[in-house]
Amino acid sequence: MTESATAPGSFSFVLSGSASDSPTAEQTDSVDAVSMVGICKSFGSLVALHGADFQLRRGEIHALLGENGAGKSTLMNILYGLEERDQGEVRIDGVPVSFSTPQDAVVKGLGMVHQHFKLVPRLTVIENVLLGDRRSRGFRLPDLAVAAKELEELADSYGLPISATDQVSGLSVGEQQRVEILRSLYFGAKTLILDEPTASLTPLEVNQLLDKLRGLADTGTSIIIITHHLDEVMESADRVTVLRSGLNVRTTAAAETNQVELAKLMVGRDVGILTQKNAIRGEPLGEFFEQDNSPVLRLYEVAASSHSPLEAAAGDAKRGLFDVNLEVRSGEIVAIAGVEGNGQNELEDVLSGFLQVEQGEFSIDEKDCRTYLPSELLKLGLGYIPSDRYRRGLIGDLSVAANVSYDRISEYPIGTRFKVNSKEMMRRGGQAVEEFSIAVGDAGDLAGTLSGGNAQRVVIARALAKELRLLVAAQPTRGLDVGAIEFIWGLLDKQRSQGLATLLITTDLDEVMALADRVYVMYRGRLTEVPADRDLIGLAMGGSISEVGHSIDA
Amino acid sequence: MIAKTDLRKEFELPALARWMLAVFGALATGGILLALVGANPIDAYIEMVQGTFGSMFDLSLVLTEMIPLVIIGLGLVIAFRARIWNIGAEGQFMFGALVGGAFALHVPIGSPFLAIPIVLVVGAASGALWGALVAVARVRWQVNEVISSLLLNYVALFIFAYAVRKPLRDPGGFQPTSERIPDQFVLADVPVDQIRVHIGIIFALLLVPLVSFLVNRSPFGLRATMFGMNPEAAQAAGVHTSRMTVRIMLLSGAFAGLAGIIQVMGSELRLSNNMSTGFGFTAIVVALISRLRPIGVVVAAALLGALTLGGDVIQRTQQVPRVLTMVIQAIFVLFLLLADRRKDR
Repeated sequence: MTESATAPGSFSFVLSGSASDSPTAEQTDSVDAVSMVGICKSFGSLVALHGADFQLRRGEIHALLGENGAGKSTLMNILYGLEERDQGEVRIDGVPVSFSTPQDAVVKGLGMVHQHFKLVPRLTVIENVLLGDRRSRGFRLPDLAVAAKELEELADSYGLPISATDQVSGLSVGEQQRVEILRSLYFGAKTLILDEPTASLTPLEVNQLLDKLRGLADTGTSIIIITHHLDEVMESADRVTVLRSGLNVRTTAAAETNQVELAKLMVGRDVGILTQKNAIRGEPLGEFFEQDNSPVLRLYEVAASSHSPLEAAAGDAKRGLFDVNLEVRSGEIVAIAGVEGNGQNELEDVLSGFLQVEQGEFSIDEKDCRTYLPSELLKLGLGYIPSDRYRRGLIGDLSVAANVSYDRISEYPIGTRFKVNSKEMMRRGGQAVEEFSIAVGDAGDLAGTLSGGNAQRVVIARALAKELRLLVAAQPTRGLDVGAIEFIWGLLDKQRSQGLATLLITTDLDEVMALADRVYVMYRGRLTEVPADRDLIGLAMGGSISEVGHSIDA
Repeated sequence: MIAKTDLRKEFELPALARWMLAVFGALATGGILLALVGANPIDAYIEMVQGTFGSMFDLSLVLTEMIPLVIIGLGLVIAFRARIWNIGAEGQFMFGALVGGAFALHVPIGSPFLAIPIVLVVGAASGALWGALVAVARVRWQVNEVISSLLLNYVALFIFAYAVRKPLRDPGGFQPTSERIPDQFVLADVPVDQIRVHIGIIFALLLVPLVSFLVNRSPFGLRATMFGMNPEAAQAAGVHTSRMTVRIMLLSGAFAGLAGIIQVMGSELRLSNNMSTGFGFTAIVVALISRLRPIGVVVAAALLGALTLGGDVIQRTQQVPRVLTMVIQAIFVLFLLLADRRKDR
């Protein structure tokens, strides 16, 4: 810890204060923008936080790290007035506070930008900003022109320029996020809480965002980033607090630690994948190509859209797939990279039978699947890990055991045509709980009580319980912690080495690099095959396909 | 085991207290209304209980009233588990009664052992057909089943009314009703002393374990439950949405149609416009109070049957207006549903 004084950069004053892992309240209260001490919170029998501490200094970027269920969100929800604490003390600028609603928090200079933006697409930027404003309630509308000018001036002063009269539907995801940040600043936020701010950005946008945040911090805004991307933490944060099982294990200066150590702190043990990226990836198995060269999955010139007539009437841009060509063979993992919302949902829906192909060909093992429903695709040997695991992958009001087997209830030995063998179902549920390390008291517990990582283990346990020809895995590790990601990547890799054809739809570049044999990038509904190179994929994700082409030529 | 719900927790002490409070609240509110019209509430309640459970004859009336409620209610449990909101049981009931009844009036089958099963099947099939219209509209044209099933009630009622006025009318009768169905189609009473209930009650009670097995232990029932809980996840797990919708509506309609024809063969013995006192609607309440459990259907049907007949009793003895007895019935149902509310997550 003593080498902190020698750490480079302009934040040495910050670093010198972090010599101790857990600064005491007395030392820091006078300067801390936020101080949370001994926070406890339980939901029924589940203890989410037991005595967590968190100190945020003025003008710093502080990363809050932790696995799912470690208590990050709960801690921040308490700070922002979305949850009430059971015990502990919260101080803003040294003054004890107790918020029961986010409005209270906003008044005290807090702002939160959620992972999923809450903007109305058909309104302009300034209208969206004013939507949540208490002052504009009632019958009298605020003067939009004046407010728009105010907002633009504010935006310029923070180096986040924006046109306040543009309609939000025309903005990129990064720009929408900027609107969310500006909205908080507009209402006087001095402390920003950003929940997974990089989740839906391209690599380029991520860099821009982190730059801008640094600029904000330099002007005195304090920033909390909730994340589990370790490289972003290293790149942007001054300090890091790692939470594990409702307790903070360590608060440290980012310069004093490294990704391996942070991963270990988060999980509580050594983690392999992060230290040796790509090591997991075996060579594609030549024998499968020799034995069986015909693709398992084949899409040819496919067009499809989820564009509803209502949206069409409103003149919204058509979304969907255009001229998609794709083949996946036995023993390979083909990754579809791309920023969310570029047609991945439509591709996923086509492959799982939820969306009909409008044009082109779609076949599995040379069988025409254009009109197939999910039930018929399942019979062809499709395994499906849906991106929205709660909506499509789980039935929360059924037991974990039922969730593991519910797609095979009339197949012997789980059942016959007339009767479900609930004993066998429970037995298999128990087996899956063990094999997939699902953290649940009993396989008879309701699946709705599972956390994200465990819910996904159930989804995958079900998908892999059958003989498969093709696995469509959409965002299989989104929002999961390092331990669960490691486990799931291991499973997918093992299935590949056993000859399964896998299509991996993901927005996570690390995942692409760790698993994929071939990579396509999806941009505005079209697919482009790209060499497995981080920078090229990043460029293609932002739509700079010509640049990719150029690089390939060169 | 499969659909593990919080039933056990619901019957812990706080829940019990809540139920008692609900019953007390209903009695009190109803009592105030009774007092307002000049009746003695205590006497009225005592007479309601005596008039429904006081003698074997009164009990027989309650049991008879329960038959259609149980049978329709079971069919609605199947539909509601899948969250397919069949509000059309009344129409399915009447259509089953009409087609089954017409068959009994015009197709000469001599032996009751042949006649009864055939007519039961005809009635159930007709109800199923009426229910299937709803499913087809939903699957083909995305018509909301609540609207279509509700409206089809009126279509069935008016077809029925036309039939008993014109083609099926008893030429010798004063009222617009059909002739009496031939004897071989009539359901006998259960062979128990002093109890005067036709054997429809046995059919109804036999259906309870059958439906219980269907919804709780069969793959079909589990898929229907999955479909109700999370249609998208069910579809991803191989449930065929439109096939499921059609099957559920066929089954649900068949139960209502069966109840209709049993009502004709056991109680009415002829087709008449006012053969239903809204059984199809009351059965919706029965299914909801039952918390979609077949055993619960029996309990709820007994309760509503008793409330209906008890209302008749105080109407006669205490000169309480008929409408008020219906209000009291509704108050009981509301209080029970209040006590039964589940916390929204």
